[in-house]
This record gives sequence, C-alpha cells and structure tokens, in this order.
Amino acid sequence: MSSGRARLPDETGFAAGPDGVRIAYEVFGAGDPTLVLLPSTPIVHSRQWKGQVAYLSRHYRVVTFDGRGNGLSDRPTDPDAYREEFMVGDIERVMDATGTDAAVLIGLCGDGVWRAIELAAAKPDRVLGIVAFAVGVPLLTPPHPWRVQWSFEDELPTDEGWAKVNRHYYRRDYPGFARFFFGEMTPESHSTKQVDDAADWTVDGSVEAMIADAEVEQSWTLESIEETCRAVRCPMLLVHGSEDRCQPPSRARRLSELTGAPLVVVEGAGHMIPGRHPVLANLLIRDFVRSLSSEVT
Amino acid sequence: MARVRAPERPPAERRSRSGAGAPQGAHEQARARYPDTTGYVERHGVRVFYEVYGSGEPTLLLLPTWSIIHSRFWKLQIPDLARRYRVVTFDGRGNGRSDRPTTAAAYAETEFAADALAVMDATGTDRAVLIALSMGAQRGLLLATDHAERVAGAVFIGPALDLAWFAPGREPVDDFLDHRDTDEGWAKYNAHYWRRDYRGFLEFFFSKVLTEAHSTKPTDDAVGWGLETDPETLILTQLAPGIGKRDDILARIARVKCPVLVIHGREDAIRAYAQGEELARASGGRLITIEGGGHMPNARDPVKVNLAIRDFIANLGRGSR
Repeated sequence: MSSGRARLPDETGFAAGPDGVRIAYEVFGAGDPTLVLLPSTPIVHSRQWKGQVAYLSRHYRVVTFDGRGNGLSDRPTDPDAYREEFMVGDIERVMDATGTDAAVLIGLCGDGVWRAIELAAAKPDRVLGIVAFAVGVPLLTPPHPWRVQWSFEDELPTDEGWAKVNRHYYRRDYPGFARFFFGEMTPESHSTKQVDDAADWTVDGSVEAMIADAEVEQSWTLESIEETCRAVRCPMLLVHGSEDRCQPPSRARRLSELTGAPLVVVEGAGHMIPGRHPVLANLLIRDFVRSLSSEVT
Repeated sequence: MARVRAPERPPAERRSRSGAGAPQGAHEQARARYPDTTGYVERHGVRVFYEVYGSGEPTLLLLPTWSIIHSRFWKLQIPDLARRYRVVTFDGRGNGRSDRPTTAAAYAETEFAADALAVMDATGTDRAVLIALSMGAQRGLLLATDHAERVAGAVFIGPALDLAWFAPGREPVDDFLDHRDTDEGWAKYNAHYWRRDYRGFLEFFFSKVLTEAHSTKPTDDAVGWGLETDPETLILTQLAPGIGKRDDILARIARVKCPVLVIHGREDAIRAYAQGEELARASGGRLITIEGGGHMPNARDPVKVNLAIRDFIANLGRGSR
C-alpha cells in the first residue's frame, strides 16, 4: 500500500558516506531549532516518526533520514558498513548535507539514543539536546531475559516467541518476525495500526541488511559506555515505558543517575512511545525544546 | 550530495525499491475484531462472501455499497456494534472475496438485494436492522419495501438516491462511455479514463468522498480496497439497472413501514445533503446532520455514527412509531 502523508517534505536529498553509501534525508518546515529524528535502522525507516513530523514541523525545522539498510538509503550487505563509526557518522553527514550546524537529536532505543549520546560526547558543538525514547544504552543494566534466551546464530529447535529473533528464521519468514517483534514492542490495546505500520516498514527493508547489522562486533565495555554517558554536557530528557519489552526501564533509571537527566516513565506504555502515544511524545519534545532556549544565558 | 525538490506527492510504492522484501500490503491489515463465522452464499453461479460477528440482539445487516470498495469500509463500526448486537456483513459482488460476474445485469440493484436475503437465510437471520452507506440505500430500500417483514429498521448514511442533483460542483455523467477530451475533475468519471488510469480515478473519487482534513488514512484504505477490484467490473456496475427515477424512488419510500434514520454530511460532495434530507422527510425518519462532514461519516466520524446507530436501536424496542 502506498501511504498518504499528513505532511510532505519541503526538501529531499541524499548524503553520501565515506564508503559511498547513500543516505536519503527529508527536511520539513523552517522553524528553529532543527530537530533531527534518528532512524531505528535497519529494522524500520524514517516513517517511524510519522506521528511526530507533521506536528513538530509546524514549530521547528525537522530533518529525518532513512538509516543505511532501509527506506530509500542504500542497503549494503557487508557487516563492515554497519560499524558504529558509520552509523554515528551518518547523523553528522545528514546534518552537513542539510546545512545544520547543531540540532536537537531525537531517538528511540539503541539505534537512536545510544548514537545520539555517542555524537554528543564526541562533538558537543553539534548537539543542542537529546530526547531519548526507550533508553537503549547497551550494557548499562542486564537485558530482559527473553532477549538473551536464544542464539541469534544457531538453528533453533523452535520458532516460537523470541526464538524468531534468529538469522535462520529471518530468512524463512521475515514478515513473521516483524509482526511478532512489533507485537511485543506495542503491548498496549488497540495497537493494530502501529504494529501493521512497523511490520510493513521492516518488510520494506532488507533481511540481509538486518543480518549484516547484527554481525557487527562491538568493542564496548560497561566502563566505556558509562564514561561516554558521563561525558554528555547537553540537556537530555529520558522517556521510557513501564512495559517496554525491548529495553528494561532500569537502563533509563541508570542513565538518569549517571547524567542527572530527568526521566519520564510512562505507565503501561511499551517500547514504541512516539508511535503509540504521539500526543504525549510531541508535547514532551516541545516542552523540552522550549526549555533549551530559556536556558541560554 | 544532490538536493532535489520534493515530489508533489510521494510515488505510490515509495519504499519498495530493493525487491528483497515481500510485497507491501500482501497481507490484510490487522483487525480490531475478527469474525466469529464466515461463509459464502451462491446464487446463479455467483459466490458472495459474508461474515458474522457477536451474538447480541438484534442482528444488524451492514449492507455493501458501490463495489468500488468492500465490507472493510465498516471497519470502524463492526468492533463497536458487535459488542452489543449480532453483526452480519458481506462483500458486494464485484469486490472483496465475492465473485466478479462479467455482465452488467449481474450488478442490478435487485441482485444485491437478493444477495442480502441469501446471506440472511444462510446466517439464520429472520429480521435485521439494515445499515447502508451511499449506494447501499438503493438495495436497502428494495429490502425495506419488497421484504418489509425481514427489516426491523433502516439506517441510511449518505444515501445515494436520485432525489436531487448529485452534489454541488459534480458534473453529469451521460457521456460515461464516450471519449472525452479532458481528464480534469469529474471528467475522470469515464470508462476510458478508468481503463487508462484506474488508480488516478480512485484517488480523485475518494478525495471527493473524504473531504475532511486529516483523512489520509481512510483515503489510503479506500483506494486500497478499490484496487482489489478492476475498472471493467466497475464499468459494469455503471451499466446495471438501478431503482428508477425520482418518482419511482419517492413511491417506494412511501411504502417503507419500518423506522428510518438518515445520517448525512452537510458538505457531502458525492451525494448532496438534499438527498438525505428528502429521504428523511419522505419516510418520516429522523435526520442527523454531520456538520462539515463528507460522504463517509462512518469513517470520519465513527463515534457519532456508532452512537447514533445505538440510539436508533434502543428506540426500536419502544415501538414508538
């Protein structure tokens, strides 16, 4: 199905990575500051922010992009292309391509939140603030047990439940994985539309990109991650659902302790707060961005 | 790094570029409520697909409208109504899981009415409250007059009855089969254009059906249902016998004995508000006006419509007519 949009971009284009991978971006509105909505890639693409773009672009300039591996961006299948330096670098490259010196970064889960933190720690001049939904900072506290119950690599004796997060199952039934996963991510009642959307965006992407991304070996330790978090100097707002089945709420609490950032726990909410609770998410973003300008001295 | 202007509207299959994934929309959207039973009735070789939800009283028969869409257009009524009542719906011949017969006669209003009776028989429904949208009014009127004993009440939403001009700004369609020198606006209501650019017609038509702001989702839905049938089938529906001219229709309305509710959008750009007004007046029914509403208030104002249906049914029990 095609999809009518509440708001079409004013400008679209591509930023090129140093490895030649093309990153598709879109720009909406002309307000100030610029908000960059980060992609949860390669599982979905920038339409994940459909509940935000139309509203936020009335007040601010909004930049979105499809992360490498989905949407209109290129889909390399070499795990090297999904190394953290490229993923974080793509944010900067899109900012460069859109003439954005500094921006508020808005992200969901590890793909958005952790990379926003990495960029803010490394390039503080470019990040005015961070709104972190479903605080996916790796290793900060132990993962949910079901996330580590099954091997991603091995052939499993079952396809039930979280055993679907498995490279062999991905290749057998990628849409089946997507519907299961986003069902888990959106446990709220009346979420059929959000689950359908997210599963469609997954299927829009590439199973080989997902597998390549999963093969990247990270060199993080708990110490290095905590050090990066402590290095962030910009204001942050953390928003986490009490029923998040991807990222444990304890990670949000721990990041709040490490950084002093305020934490909003949304009771009864799952992982997909911007999609499932758009008005709440949008008002939290707006209030946070307003508070930034009042802090300028 | 190239910068390009945004397209006027995004290409239809914007995200399907790799060919690596399964086709988009290959599966039906998840439903808030699934049917308890489904089945087919067959008449003269044409199979019609029906669904039954819930077990309350009375039974509501949600009639098909023009076969440009199928029974999912009731998606915002079914889950709510099925909590209280028994809900029966079916795909009108020509779309959904029903057959697409290849003669115009097979799309006569009398055929749709006969399908409705066959579905009532197959589902053990002696009497039902009819709920009709747009073209559904024509088959609904046939049922409420020629089979009055089976109709406990009738709700007509945006009724398409030739009691008044289509709608302000809507042009005549007498040259439906002729070649035209333009594709602008209502000139798209033309067999040749449908064959040339079926999707273009669907997008135009539903932009006139769903005139309210913030209608991208129901418009996407409706265009998607439209694409489940084809222009040749829709052309046949245009050539099929209806229920007559204004005088025939008024004579038929005068025979309606069951309680009637009419719900009509004041800004309906497909079927003028005046059509609903006259149906209400002629039938002695109640008229509920959706201010600012277009041709599918069931999609754009579902809570109002559902509550109006609930009130109507509550009053049926009081036998006050």
